Amino acid sequence: MRRAVLPALLALAALACGGPEGARRLNVYIWTNYLPAAVVSDFERRTGIRVEIDTYSSNEALLEKLQSGVADYDLVVPSDYMLQVLGPQRLLRPLDHRRLPGIANLEPRLLDRVFDPGNRVSLPYLWGTTGIGYDRRKVAEPVDSWQALFDPRHAGRILMLDDMREAFGAALKLDGRSINERDPAALRRAAARLQEQKRLVRTYNSSDFANLLAAGDVDLAQGWNGELAKVVAQDPRRFGYVVPKEGGTLWIDSLAMPSTARHVDAAYAFLDYLLEPAVAARVVDGVRYASANRAARRLVDPAIRDDPAVYPPPAVIDRCELIQDLGATTPLLDRLWTEVKAR
Amino acid sequence: MTPAPVPAAAGPPRWPRALLATHTAAIYLYLYAPIAVLVAFSFNRARQTAVWEGFTLSWYGELLHDDRLLRAARNSLLIAGLATALATLIGTMAALAFATPATPRARGRAITQVLLLLPVILPEVVIGAALLTLFGTLRLRLSLATVLIAHVVFSISYVALVVRARLAGLDPALAEAARDLGAGGWEVLRRVTLPLAAPGIAAGALLVFTLSIDDYVITSFVAGAGATTLPLHVYSLLKSGVTPEVNAVSTALLAVTVAPIVTAHRLLRREAGGPA
Repeated sequence: MRRAVLPALLALAALACGGPEGARRLNVYIWTNYLPAAVVSDFERRTGIRVEIDTYSSNEALLEKLQSGVADYDLVVPSDYMLQVLGPQRLLRPLDHRRLPGIANLEPRLLDRVFDPGNRVSLPYLWGTTGIGYDRRKVAEPVDSWQALFDPRHAGRILMLDDMREAFGAALKLDGRSINERDPAALRRAAARLQEQKRLVRTYNSSDFANLLAAGDVDLAQGWNGELAKVVAQDPRRFGYVVPKEGGTLWIDSLAMPSTARHVDAAYAFLDYLLEPAVAARVVDGVRYASANRAARRLVDPAIRDDPAVYPPPAVIDRCELIQDLGATTPLLDRLWTEVKAR
Repeated sequence: MTPAPVPAAAGPPRWPRALLATHTAAIYLYLYAPIAVLVAFSFNRARQTAVWEGFTLSWYGELLHDDRLLRAARNSLLIAGLATALATLIGTMAALAFATPATPRARGRAITQVLLLLPVILPEVVIGAALLTLFGTLRLRLSLATVLIAHVVFSISYVALVVRARLAGLDPALAEAARDLGAGGWEVLRRVTLPLAAPGIAAGALLVFTLSIDDYVITSFVAGAGATTLPLHVYSLLKSGVTPEVNAVSTALLAVTVAPIVTAHRLLRREAGGPA
């Protein structure tokens, strides 16, 4: 055993010192399946900067890391509502737009949104919608409204996202209300709707919803477009995806630089690289999410570019809403949702 | 583990045995059915996880070409190897200290023993959050090294626990006899105590390796740039849905974890058969 000690200590020392530091390195903390490997390796070849990719699975995990103050990331990709949390806590570094000429390529509809006015700390990267995926073999009538998820004819064949804001979003939209409604009476009405709907719901699930639809376990699934788009693309005659006419959720994941970033120059270089239309198009081809890069769109694989599940028409974007932090209303919503799930 | 066989001479009616066998089978099915399904579906040709479409090894092939996954696997093996070496050393030393006969001057022994074992009882979330706060206070940048520190922290207790149990079962007369024959303290340790404790030390080491390689909760708190381990990677894959690739990684991880457990079990069995 003693023989194991010396190598162990040497390796420990090597770990503590880390590799060569400085501008030649970039640490990216990002969602899984958000950055094709080839896009990264091309950047490494072009600049000589070594890119280290680590992945997370929730905005809350990212928040926890950045709040520790000792995370060593140079670029992160928070979702819209998380930017509203990170920004005021001064966990992000203001971006110098003069160093990012490629900003001109971005879709104006996705810029200057409420979660980061003037894009002071973030640039939109990928975006999408919440809607309904459905199985045409089982659902005869056209699906164009959230009402489909509340229709007794589909009892036991409906999947809802296990997500408080999304579930309430669908119910509120049916009442003609905003996803970010704060009026307690309206929220109680929405909760009553969800309560009523519960006997129709097969399962509340936000990780595997697309697979359950594809496997035929449910006929209608509330879900995010990226995963549902993959199911639709596999069998477009059988499956469909729609953002209901009442409107759905719009989500935008943005690139941002933590205030503790150490490789700032490398981060700017990578940001500007990702803003290049050709690069952004390759990202879309790889991940099947819509890019915020408007100039990239014509370079995207036509099968993806013309897929309305990936790139909804502008009118759809306009009737979708961003989820916003509800502040003092959150506890009430938490309680109502717990009651819906519990009864 | 296995209950002593019921004496056949009593000649009890057969139905209780049949009932017991059914009950046992049901329990084992309950324990292992999810794992069996996961392993089976890692060989499934279909991309969707719930439909069987035929046998394939292609998911395992894809694993071998997945750079991020291989990096994560390398990180996991490196951390598990180093954590095992360090925790085994420190844990064994602690166990040896607690195994020496108490002297009147050894005050605070009970409390130090309890403190050493506390990490086994503490929820992982508490350890993880505490370590993250500590690293933040110390301005220690999160990296692979902080993961290693965290793993050693929770592993020491397990080694100490296992080795101490082994040492408690040793006959003190053996060490006394060695001393009678003129062996010094160091010699007794090296030639008598450590060889006798070896199965316990090895079992502790394997336990640590297993705990380290599949730890998610604590690691998720303290992992820094470039420190994604296999469990972190697998968990983050779930965001884009469960794919057969996840099943394949999980199966491989299962194989890597089960092997040391089986070895540890064997070693402890050999100990039971040894001189008492």
